[in-house]
Amino acid sequence: MLSAIKNSFATDDIVTKRSDLYKVSVTRERVFELIAFLGNNYDYKTLNAITCTDWIEEEHFGITYILTTLERKSTFMVQTMINRNEAHINSLVNEFAQAEIMERDLAEMYGIDFIGNKNLKELSLENWVHTPPLRREFDTLEFVNEHLTFREGREDNLDVKVEMKRIRAEKKAAKEAAKILAQEKAKKEETEDAK
Amino acid sequence: MNEGFLQEQRTLEGDLNSKNSHQNSVDFLMNWFRKRSIFVLAYGTGCGAIEMPPTFTSRYDAERLGIRGAATPRQADVIIVSGYCSFKTLRRIIRTYEQMSNPKYVLALGSCTVNGGMYWDSYNTIKKLEEYIPVDMYVNGCMPRPESILEGFIALQHDIGEGKTSSWQKYEENYEFYRKNQEAVLGKKVEPSYDTDWYLYEGGL
Repeated sequence: MLSAIKNSFATDDIVTKRSDLYKVSVTRERVFELIAFLGNNYDYKTLNAITCTDWIEEEHFGITYILTTLERKSTFMVQTMINRNEAHINSLVNEFAQAEIMERDLAEMYGIDFIGNKNLKELSLENWVHTPPLRREFDTLEFVNEHLTFREGREDNLDVKVEMKRIRAEKKAAKEAAKILAQEKAKKEETEDAK
Repeated sequence: MNEGFLQEQRTLEGDLNSKNSHQNSVDFLMNWFRKRSIFVLAYGTGCGAIEMPPTFTSRYDAERLGIRGAATPRQADVIIVSGYCSFKTLRRIIRTYEQMSNPKYVLALGSCTVNGGMYWDSYNTIKKLEEYIPVDMYVNGCMPRPESILEGFIALQHDIGEGKTSSWQKYEENYEFYRKNQEAVLGKKVEPSYDTDWYLYEGGL
């Protein structure tokens, strides 16, 4: 199977992650061809998920189509890269009906346009007008500071780990001091008894 | 033989004798009735809703305190905002709260309603609930157990009996303040749209 893919799709980027998990990277022009090829010839007929990874440094999105065989025994991840700034790719709705809601999710969270999907409206957000929230250039904390107010009274909040260490050290020191005191007291009493 | 029953009657009616001087008799009696009959809207907004079924069923049995469920906002006295509250939910909470008839009370559960809790830096969750609707009682914890919820209810009953809470009046008087805060996070159109197009579009149901 792997050599057939290598030969017909001219890609060397095939990784066998496990005996039942493969990953292949192809160009965006050939990705749908490859998905059809896997479905027709090797029984990868279920689309489990479409995922997206934001590679902001390389300026592209990695879109991964996760396909499974009908016996659920083997999984194939087909990955393709698209440009971040003009994020659009053809839709997979005609081949897999369930792709619609997955693409809707990615369109909402990353701002990717899936050409051919007619129902790309908001899924879990409502009237969102800012940068799509899962794009890495979206600064969550900045957004929160801009739109929401924090409750007063925690301005002096300290690092919990550091404070725990400090408190433990203090307790330990106090314990040792008490120990030394008790020892000295016992010694005194002993000397007094001897006298 | 009737000891248990009498004990219960005593706890229920005991505070009838402790009339406060700042309330007249009618107010006192009305408040006493109100606190003994609290209808809670069956509406869960976050993960805290999972603590409400045990509160209302046989184990903790909130009904012995006169607290029970109501099916619609117009019949309810109390709305519980249980847990984190996203912008999308906030629209529905505001709409539901405004539908409820006076007197109405808000019980906020969980640290998320107090200061955002573990969603303190989320882009889609509010931090202080009292900025958007008036809150009568906060029950903190993540999540508060049914005992804490009952504790909150009893504190709320106490406040109702004393005539201390009138948050719905506060909401009416300071409507501009609340509306301004609501619009700051939800935009000009605060009311949710109840369109049902989603199942009528091509490829839908």
